[in-house]
Amino acid sequence: MSTSTEKTTHRKESILELAKMMDTVVQVKCLGGRELKGTLKGYDDLVNLVLEDCIEYIRDAETQMPTDRSRKLGLAVIRGTQVSLVAPQEGAEEIANPFVAAEDDE
Amino acid sequence: MSSKRLLPLEVIDQAIGSKIWILLRGQKEVVGILRGFDDYVNLVLEDAIEYSMDAHGVSTATPLHTEILLNGNQITVLVPNETPEGSAAAAAVH
Repeated sequence: MSTSTEKTTHRKESILELAKMMDTVVQVKCLGGRELKGTLKGYDDLVNLVLEDCIEYIRDAETQMPTDRSRKLGLAVIRGTQVSLVAPQEGAEEIANPFVAAEDDE
Repeated sequence: MSSKRLLPLEVIDQAIGSKIWILLRGQKEVVGILRGFDDYVNLVLEDAIEYSMDAHGVSTATPLHTEILLNGNQITVLVPNETPEGSAAAAAVH
């Protein structure tokens, strides 16, 4: 009996608190380089995500780096196995690349 | 919570029988009619069309004309009831 209570107390919890990001705009990076943005409408234990009004940043054909161009996907499901980053959009701002400037100075 | 939480696998389940747009790892994309899927999100697609991008960013469409089994371990994004053409029409610089 004691073992079963131990099991319940040591229940594995996800390190990601996606509940806090529900119905907010999130940035998602995937393995393979795709980057998306959308309103988090749902998720499961495997970190599969449901994004509403989802857009994908179009990548440069040569460098594979995301550009400021995007295309609309709509309601999209992101596979948890391919998710490498989930971040809230609110409070994030883009800054100039400080490393490029450092190289120019030399 | 203002709205009900959507479960990802339920969203895919609701797309069975209708068109679905799959973005794979890398640049490849597939559009087809979803016939079924399993726990690994391996998909069975009918009348699938494969879209692949070359180094110049030009997309080529290859109709596969048959029912295919698409392995789930390359699948990144699933978009029900949407196509690359529909998305391109709505493309915008932001």
